[in-house]
Order: sequence, then structure tokens, then C-alpha cells
Amino acid sequence: MAQDAPVRGREPIPDPPEGTPNTIWTRRDFFTAAGWGAVLVYLGTVLLAFTRFMFPRVLFEPNPVFDAGAPESYLVGIVDERFKNEKRVWIVRTEEGFYAILAICTHLGCTPNWLKAENKFKCPCHGSGFKRDGANFEGPAPRPLDRIKIVRTPEGKLVVDKSAIYRMAPGVPPGTQYPQSILKA
Amino acid sequence: MFRHDYRDTQRNRVLMIMANVWLHLHPPKVRRHAIRIRFTWCMGGITFLFFLVLTVTGVVLMFYYRPVAEYAYADMKYLQFDVPFGMLVRNMHRWAAHGMVLSVWLHMFRVFMTGSYKAPREFNWVVGVILLTLTLLLSFTGYLLPWDQLSIWAVTVGTNMARATPLLGHEGPFAEVVGVTPRYDARAFLLGGTIVGPPTLLRFYVLHCIFLPILASVLMILHFWRIRKDGGISGPL
Amino acid sequence: MAEVTATPAHARPAAKKPRRPSPVEDKVHCWPYLVKSEFICSILLTALLMVWSIALDAPMEDPSNPAQTPNPSKAPWYFLGLQEMLVYFDPWMAGVVLPTFIIIGLMVIPYVDINPKGNGYFTFRERPFAISVYLFGFLVLWVALVVLGVFFRGPGWNLFWPWEKWDPHKVVALTNVDLPYWWPFKWMGNPKIHDLPLLGRVFAGTALGQVELLGLVLTILYYALIPAAWIWQGKRSAALQELGPVRYGIVAFLFLTMVSLPVKMVMRIFFNIKYFWVTPWFNI
Repeated sequence: MAQDAPVRGREPIPDPPEGTPNTIWTRRDFFTAAGWGAVLVYLGTVLLAFTRFMFPRVLFEPNPVFDAGAPESYLVGIVDERFKNEKRVWIVRTEEGFYAILAICTHLGCTPNWLKAENKFKCPCHGSGFKRDGANFEGPAPRPLDRIKIVRTPEGKLVVDKSAIYRMAPGVPPGTQYPQSILKA
Repeated sequence: MFRHDYRDTQRNRVLMIMANVWLHLHPPKVRRHAIRIRFTWCMGGITFLFFLVLTVTGVVLMFYYRPVAEYAYADMKYLQFDVPFGMLVRNMHRWAAHGMVLSVWLHMFRVFMTGSYKAPREFNWVVGVILLTLTLLLSFTGYLLPWDQLSIWAVTVGTNMARATPLLGHEGPFAEVVGVTPRYDARAFLLGGTIVGPPTLLRFYVLHCIFLPILASVLMILHFWRIRKDGGISGPL
Repeated sequence: MAEVTATPAHARPAAKKPRRPSPVEDKVHCWPYLVKSEFICSILLTALLMVWSIALDAPMEDPSNPAQTPNPSKAPWYFLGLQEMLVYFDPWMAGVVLPTFIIIGLMVIPYVDINPKGNGYFTFRERPFAISVYLFGFLVLWVALVVLGVFFRGPGWNLFWPWEKWDPHKVVALTNVDLPYWWPFKWMGNPKIHDLPLLGRVFAGTALGQVELLGLVLTILYYALIPAAWIWQGKRSAALQELGPVRYGIVAFLFLTMVSLPVKMVMRIFFNIKYFWVTPWFNI
């Protein structure tokens, strides 16, 4: 059986005539690469388009801003849980003022519980513990609980904006990170 | 399908396999050790059976279930308490899912222990590992659908791992280098938003009922075909 | 296909004792032998699943409430190993990198296991390393962690003995410290890269300067075990020679990464060590 019999449509490429400059790619190599390259570019573009498709422009999510009532209704030294069930927010009243803590564990997003007797927040999912100011001290949570913006309206009401998150960095006491997170009483 | 009588002849035995669309997955003959339960534990076949049960019960459940946040939980209760045999179908679907995870692991355990991943079956082992991952993903996406407490917290935790993906998640290492935000990162891709909400339910429903089962089926076809190509169920060569 | 001359199981024994057939030749018809057992197996299993499903109802909890996490909140049993891992590592590590390594590690098994004696020679004596590592991963890192998660974890993800009452207010001293603040290393005073004598000044003020030295050195030393063991044993061990440096490197890296999980568990459970190595970008 002849090993070198030409395959139909694939004639062996003849050696270039003497004196032709040496090229790395033949024309056939070039068109093959270009063709497959075009297919890959197309598929890549479709993949990118699909990725973008999965991020809608408008999200229909609950309004992040809510009215937190009168400042006088908060007692000094209490971690107030009245908005925890609806808004996932604790509002803490200290001598200094108010701050609002987002009730989302910085580890994997469960809702921690406020354990009053132990004076700490404790997450049921992986056991992360946070002190009253949000500092992480036990379990796997990598950083303190985030705080969110709390302001007083001209009428004297408290308003919390969950879309303005003060993201806490690890290893630094949360009280010193964002002075603006505390609404002075 | 069944054009042959049950006369027990050598020819008929082969024809029973070859001329049947379901059975032609098998070769006409297998090595004697391959039919020993003690050797194979039948775990691959059991996994496939669980997959079939899951497909059937899953389709049946789809007649009543709506993947909308307002309705999902109520539909589950409806299935449980009102639809005749609804609870049974739901139970079978859930328990078969648990059974499938277990049988996949035991199948893998057996294949490793008998050294059946070795040449020429390396590639089929790789396909098997992907199928294991798909099995876990199928059960994970299915967990959200009842829309109960277990659902959303399992999925909250699961998708928050995506949030921590290096480079692609906004809490992960080097996130600021890439510039991903909570609105545009790997987690938002899965959730369809920034919270586990109605768009998440729909996404997981599509993944659970369409995307992952089709992908798993394609790989299963590949897996079974490769068993034949690699010389049947492993044994002393 | 050539006619197989072996004696099938159903044939009458020949007058002369037949030659013992080789395993390749020793074949039986799928119909009825294989199809029969498949049929019986699927009927038994379907019956079992049916009875199980009639007897035991699948769990259904309260309607979803994004503000209230059940205490404890447990994943389905087969994910509890992963949930347990998440206690010890940061999510990017336990939730993304380690599972990826597990999947890749399982995939590379057939390519790094070059012991040709697989089919038929699968006893422990034939391949002690492969079986020990696999059993370690399967029994310790999966089965044991699942058992730990199912039976020993209670409210607040605290450890409870199975006979203990689940008290959500159980107080366990779990205050974590990072490795440089642990007493054997306290005298060092947590040096960072910018504290290095000469090189440090270059990196002072940059994020790189904040990288902890102790963790860096320990991590390098830990993974330096790979080339060290190669230099020590590579020339002498025939098995290592056959494996070659690339496959050896892959196996050793995956093995050490796998072992880092129990190491970290022990350090957390018994010494409350949180991180071995803190950098501005990630912590291990």
C-alpha cells in the first residue's frame, strides 16, 4: 500500500522554487488558523454577551431606605432589634450616639443572633461571634460586621440607608474605622 | 423492540441485546466477573436508576410547582397536603436525590479500590469526576426550590462562597484589582441580583430542570460509551 | 469477531476437564446473566425507595425568612464536610480553592498513579500509598466531617456531644488569635516585610510591606518540603525516579494542601489559632 498516496483535496505542498524567501507559515496554514480563530472569536464573543445577559440593568429589590422612628425611642446601651426581622438591621444606641449594623454575617451572609446575656452577636451557620460594636472575635468571620448610613432628617426622625455600606476592614476596631457611621446624639 | 422470542439459543441471546434500543448499551457478552455484585456493587447502575427516578418524579412535580417566590412554598404545601400522592412523589424525589449522592460516592469508592481508573480508563474517570460534581450541583440547585428556610440559607451560604472567589467575587482576594462589585460579580451572576430573591429562584429552577440534567445526560452517554470502548467493566486484563 | 472458545457457565461440563480460561476469554452472555441481575436490582431498589418514601416524609421547614437564620443552620448532610471546612478557612479558600483542588485532585489520580498493576491487583499491599491517601480523604475528610457536622454541631455551630442538650446560650471560649500572637511566637512581635533589615525599606508603605513574615516563612517552609523530599529521596527511590519531578510535584502539592486541613482544624480547635498568615489581600 502506497504510504505517500495523495489524499483527495489535500495535495502535498510542493517545495517552493529556489530563491523564495523562507516563510514560517504557508498560505494554507494561515487560512486554517484564521478560520478557526474566527470561530473561537465568535464563540468568545457569544460567551461574553451571555455573561452580560445574565446581569440585568434594573434590579427589582426592596427599597434600601427606611424610616427608623424617633431617636427618643432608643434606649442607651441597648442593641435594638425592632428592624431586624423586616430590614436585617440592628440599631445601637450608645452614650455617644447611634450606629446601625447590617445583620449579615461577613463570613457567608447568614443572619447572626444578638445574645444579650453574652453581649455578643453569634452566627448560627459557622459560629462566628461579634462584639457589640461589630468586631469579630471568634469563629471564621474574616472582618467586623458592616455598618450602614444612619442620619437624622430635619424633622428629627432617624433614617437608615442600607445601600450606603461602611465596609469594615479586617483587624481594625470598627469604632475607629468610619467616624461618620456614628450619628452623634 | 422485541422481535425475538425467548428461545434460549446462542443467537437469540446476542440478538436480544443487539436488536433492542435500550439493551444495546450492553455488549452481547461480558466477562464473568462483571456480573458479580461483590465486584461492582452495581453502584453505577444504581446511580443511573436514581437519575431516571429523579427525572420521572421531577417532571411529575413540575405539573404543580411554579418557580415564583410568592407561589413556590404554597405550591409545595399544595403538593404535600392536597394533591393525591403529591407527598409520595416529593418524598421519592428528595430521597432519590440523597440516594444518588450516596451511590455516586460509593461507585467512585469501588472504582478507586479496584484500580479501575487505570489505563485505558483514565479519561472515563475524569468524566466520572465531572458527573460527581454535576450530581452535587443538581442537588444544590434543587434545594432552593421549596423556598423554605433550609432553601434560602443553604443557597445564601453557597452563593456567598461565589462572592469570595478570588478575582471574580467582590469579597475575594484581589477583587479590587479586577474591580468587581456586589452588583457585578460571580455571586450576582448566580443570584440575578444582590440578594437571594425571586430572580434567584427562577435561575436555579432553570439550572435544576433544564441545564444541569441535559449536561449530566450528555456526560452520562459519554461515560457509558467509554465503558464499552475501554473494554467493558474493569477486571484482570 | 472470533468465536470465543471458552466454556460458558451454562454449558454441560465436558468429559475432559477443560483448560482454565483466561479472564478475557471467560465471558457470559449479557442476556440473560447481566440483564437479569440489573432487572432484579432495579426492582429491589425501586421497592426500597417506594417503602422509604411512604414511611419517611421529606423535611420541609418554615417559609423562607431572610432575616432569621435557623439555629443551627445545617446544609444537607453531604455538604456538611464543606460546611465544616468553612469554619477553619476563609470562604475563598474553603469554599472555592479547596473544592477546586479536590475536583482537580480526583481528576489527576489516573494520570499520576503510574502503578500499572490496577485491574486485578488492587490489594493494599500492591499500592499502599494510593489507598492510604484515598481512604484518608474519603473517610477522614469526608465521612468523618459529615458525621461531625450531623451529630456534633449544635446552635451557634458549637460542638456538642450527642447526649448534651442543645443550649443556644452555651458559652465556649473561642476567642481567636493569629499565629504571631500565640505564645510560642509572641517574643517575635509579629514582624512584617517592611521590618526586614535591608529589603524592608523598599516595600515600606506599600501593601506588600504589610505581609506577615512568620506566616510567609512557615508557608514557604511547608511547601519547601516538596523539593526537599525530592532532593533527599529522589535519587535513591526507584518509585520516585519513575514518577518524575512533574508528577511528583503535583502529587506532593495536592497531598500537602490536603493535610493542611486537619492541621488547621487541630490548631483552631485546640489552640484557637485563626490565621497562619495574614496579608493585605488574603489570609490563610
